[in-house]
Amino acid sequence: MAKRVAIIGYAQSHHQYDLQKTREDMVFDVVREAIKNAGIMREDLGTVITASTDFLDGRTISNVFLSMAVGAYLKDESKVEEDGTNALQYAMMKLLAGAYDVALVEAHTVGWQFNPHQVSAYTLDPLVDRQLGLLNDISAAALQARMYMEKYGVSEDHLAAVSVKNLSNAALNEFAHRRMKDVSAKKVLNSKMYYEPLRELMISPISDGCAVVILAGEDKAKKICQKPVWIEGVGNCQDGYLRDRNLFGLDSLKKAAAAAYKMAGIKQPLKQLDLAEVTERYAHEELMIYEALGLADKGKGKTLIEKGVTRRNGKFPVNPSGGALGADPVCATGLVRVVEAVRQIRREAGKHQVRGAKRALAHGQFGICAQKNTVLILGGE
Amino acid sequence: MRNTAIIGCGQTKHSSRRRDVNVAELAAEAAEAALLDAGLSLKEVDAIVSGNMQGFGGVAQPELWLGDWIGAPGKPAIRIATGGTTGGSVGQGALYTVASGMYDVVLAVAWEKHSDSKEAGATTGLSHVAMANLFHAVNYGLSFKALIATIAVGAAAGVASYQARFYLHRSGCGIEHLDMVAAKARRNAAKNPYAHLQWPNCQPEDIAKTEMVAYPFRYGHICPASDGASAIVVAEEKTAKRLCKKPAWLLGLASYSDEENQLQSESYGGVGVIDPSEQMGCRLSAKKAYSMAGIIDPQKEIDLAEIYQPFPSQELIFSERLGLFDDGAAWRHMEKGETDINGRMPISVSGGVNATNAIGSSALQRILEAALQIMGKAGEHQVPKKVKKAIAHGWGGLTNYVTVTVLGDSPGS
Repeated sequence: MAKRVAIIGYAQSHHQYDLQKTREDMVFDVVREAIKNAGIMREDLGTVITASTDFLDGRTISNVFLSMAVGAYLKDESKVEEDGTNALQYAMMKLLAGAYDVALVEAHTVGWQFNPHQVSAYTLDPLVDRQLGLLNDISAAALQARMYMEKYGVSEDHLAAVSVKNLSNAALNEFAHRRMKDVSAKKVLNSKMYYEPLRELMISPISDGCAVVILAGEDKAKKICQKPVWIEGVGNCQDGYLRDRNLFGLDSLKKAAAAAYKMAGIKQPLKQLDLAEVTERYAHEELMIYEALGLADKGKGKTLIEKGVTRRNGKFPVNPSGGALGADPVCATGLVRVVEAVRQIRREAGKHQVRGAKRALAHGQFGICAQKNTVLILGGE
Repeated sequence: MRNTAIIGCGQTKHSSRRRDVNVAELAAEAAEAALLDAGLSLKEVDAIVSGNMQGFGGVAQPELWLGDWIGAPGKPAIRIATGGTTGGSVGQGALYTVASGMYDVVLAVAWEKHSDSKEAGATTGLSHVAMANLFHAVNYGLSFKALIATIAVGAAAGVASYQARFYLHRSGCGIEHLDMVAAKARRNAAKNPYAHLQWPNCQPEDIAKTEMVAYPFRYGHICPASDGASAIVVAEEKTAKRLCKKPAWLLGLASYSDEENQLQSESYGGVGVIDPSEQMGCRLSAKKAYSMAGIIDPQKEIDLAEIYQPFPSQELIFSERLGLFDDGAAWRHMEKGETDINGRMPISVSGGVNATNAIGSSALQRILEAALQIMGKAGEHQVPKKVKKAIAHGWGGLTNYVTVTVLGDSPGS
């Protein structure tokens, strides 16, 4: 049985809207890139885990035609639904069990084919909430934003500041979708209103994209990889359904983070970690994520933004890549965070490289108001 | 792999329309039964693995909503969905979760409530699996003839009849043998209180009287579309030994994929699968799972198999590809009664998928039924012989996905 698992290779697509090729072509290109990045051959892969959902892919058994593109032909494979970080956790478990020594994890969504916000309405309680036709992920997030803002004295300026930080970071990231060099709070606050208080630039864009990471068990990783990035901790938690949960905080993220911290031996995340890549589908979510991750006290997420702590050149950068506000290929977004954290740790992030990044947190989520969360702690040696 | 066992099994009564429950309550019925069987409360469960085929129920990521009914809130939860193999993949997900050392006690739940949708399910209407690719293929210049043929094999019955004809042609098996397999499934199902199509003393002649639907399948050969759910509790060695007198231990598991049986087929310009009864993915899955389990001669070492056989030809095909019989010989062994409840190699004695098909749950049910036989809890359909090693099989996709799980009456290491 492997004791530890490392990430030995990665790749992502240039996230965009209106992809001009098939899903399979996009996935094939990224998979090939990742295999090259890891310095292995397809023959070295033991198992392949993909992540997507049938509704977002717009077809039943959405992985059927993907097996060839992801290199799973005549190999052990499976498909985890929802976020790519869930697939990563499953692949990690297969390696820890000792069944295989190299695993490929792939996640994708082609957002333009089937509007993810429409799909979100299909995840609602089909007996009541869906029939009412009032709720979807944006309207629910807007209600949550208002609740949170009222309770903790957060203003729309704080939300705009999150968007400005992430969108200007995205401008430096060649893979990001919404790259806005000259974004300003004014621009954010004047963008189109969707559901009060959420405006277009406070909501993640609909992106087409794919991310791939390649994992290896400890012995194999040491043998074949110069710069392995170790998965030091992993935590995963699901919250209750929308109407039965506390919307003032992200309780399931808090539990997921606690589990990951425990596994990685982290007591003071702000001191022991160097940066975080999180999935913030809405600007206010990033503030709530700070609190759930223990980077700020309850209701004090806004102070990190006020003081510039989480800026790219701040004390604890969050989303130097631009985060989900910069690109949101739904199922791939969490895995893109992992890829970005690995790039930082391996000093391969290019223009948005953070100085001295050794240990990073990556977060993936799924569901309305971030109902399911996965936290990974990654570290170089 | 650390020692891992199934310590609790729960399933619902299956029927065409479970009008007494909604889908959340259906899943809860199985989950509660499994926990009760294991003697555990939800508090002691560390993680949940669940899945179904969401297209059939019409709810996207249903575990986000019905998670509250199966105890997911506050726990790690993974959703796995791989088409026909969904249940097998969910079961394997739970087994890996414990075997890896990540979590100690895991609840796996899989379900399908076909009656919630207008989708006819297992037998027709799966062509939208391929729809997105068809549009691309049309762009690339797919001919009308190829388009029609592709849509025809897009449905499960289409794929299966195409596959069956290859098998019949190559093995010398006849339609009368398919009648025998289907009659056996319905007879066995009559002994299983949870099964859907129960027909005590059903004889091959009864099946032979039914109408031919798509050659070589008669109406009586084809599985129903069922409402139902199944669940298992998986635990590490200490908990398993503390709570369960006779756990079903995990010995090996694998799910190798093959090429999808479509577009690439011989007549349509492709280079891929030309005989969908060949099942290289199944052969490789069995090879890997047997090597993990230390099985050298499956024909001698395996005592029982639960095969995913919505169509009777598939019980014969897969029993060969799993190495239980020589290629082309399964129907001769079946004819002699070797695969009956009291036979040498009992196969799908629960009635199998041919008698009960709640798709997302069906392949988990195979694992569950194999576990029940090892635990000695199968009731009226318990086989008389001692079951030391049993295998559970699932297939799905466009005949390109397979799950194989080997369970035993003692731990692997």
